[in-house]
Amino acid sequence: MQYPKPLPQVTKDNREFWRGCKAHELRFQKCALCGHVRWPASLICPTCHSKRTDWVVASGKGTIYTFAVYHVAYHPGFKEDLPYVVAVVALDEGPHLLTNIVGCPLDQVKCDMPVLVEWQDITREYTLPKFRPMR
Amino acid sequence: MILSYGHNALSTESMRRALLELSPQDAVFGHFEAVGGYALAARRAMHTFRTGPETWKHIAVGQRKWANLNPAAATAGQPLSFEEYDRSRWVAEPLRLLDCCLMTDGGRAIVLTSAERARDLRHPPVLIMGMGQHNPSCDIHQATHLAGPTGAKRSIERALETAGITLSDIDACEIYDCFTYTVEITLQDYGFFAPGEGEEWFKDGIAEPGGSLPVNTSGGQLSEAYYMGLTPLSEAAMQLMGRCGKRQLGPETCTKTPEIILCSDNGAILQTHSCVILRRS
Repeated sequence: MQYPKPLPQVTKDNREFWRGCKAHELRFQKCALCGHVRWPASLICPTCHSKRTDWVVASGKGTIYTFAVYHVAYHPGFKEDLPYVVAVVALDEGPHLLTNIVGCPLDQVKCDMPVLVEWQDITREYTLPKFRPMR
Repeated sequence: MILSYGHNALSTESMRRALLELSPQDAVFGHFEAVGGYALAARRAMHTFRTGPETWKHIAVGQRKWANLNPAAATAGQPLSFEEYDRSRWVAEPLRLLDCCLMTDGGRAIVLTSAERARDLRHPPVLIMGMGQHNPSCDIHQATHLAGPTGAKRSIERALETAGITLSDIDACEIYDCFTYTVEITLQDYGFFAPGEGEEWFKDGIAEPGGSLPVNTSGGQLSEAYYMGLTPLSEAAMQLMGRCGKRQLGPETCTKTPEIILCSDNGAILQTHSCVILRRS
């Protein structure tokens, strides 16, 4: 069956991130000059403007910075998920990642709640990093 | 110069499509602007200071009272109660349908010219007294300003400075109100009340007809019509010209006849902010 939701748009900048997801690793760019770990992926460091970049693997741990509970499916692919949680997770390494919270009753999702990455292999090519409460 | 905006947002798919295509990378996770982004902002605010639907319902219901004095408003003749607000369906929690602005077919335009040229025009001109802009500009992934201070804080400092006035000189506000929370965070960042004091500030009707600081006197984008930044700007100009009929600030609505009105506009998810202070000529 064809995957019913939008797929990641892979660019020159974020290719390594999505490759990492396929290998169940959260890979982010780390500025080789100032050490800032960034997301979304970009050519230059937003803090010091250096182009010298390394890729590092994040632990997959973080906290919920904020979240929203969707009650409307703006794309038909999400209809059967309603209501579902979109969140911005603040990773321990620094970057904020937009994602979904899974494996948690809706009324128990809270800001600053500790969460851990949970991988969802959606197609042969792509895996999405989602997050569930840390046990 | 003419500043204009027109759109058939209600009867065509173009506005919806434009919004949904704003952040294709985030659609992977079922996140869509603009309501999704403002829901994330509003939730962070609820975590950071005391706010939520109990505050926002005063904004939705209060602005509807203004719209009910405005025959051009999309919701004219449709009063709104707190109970109806509470029953309004969730869109992206914590935002309900009645926290969201309207989709409208229509447009607005204002004519901008020099004070000298405006002297002989049919309507009394309104003067631009001060302006300020500040753009935190990072997208939702990096944003740490969702619960304020947003760009509104530095915008107002600059606008008051260029106008040579203080906040207490402002007679009314026309605030960009894509969502109820936008009105709260804007007025809070402007310094009208401290973080978390929004409910207390709104609940006795200060911003409503008869109040001492009227806000969004046409009904705003929540209850009149969505014409981007021109909804607030055109209403401020019309109020200062005295062309607002039953909703006219002054004796008609038991409010102060305005000399100075403050307008705001913001873009994306609180990424850009601009304010303009207008004065009666």
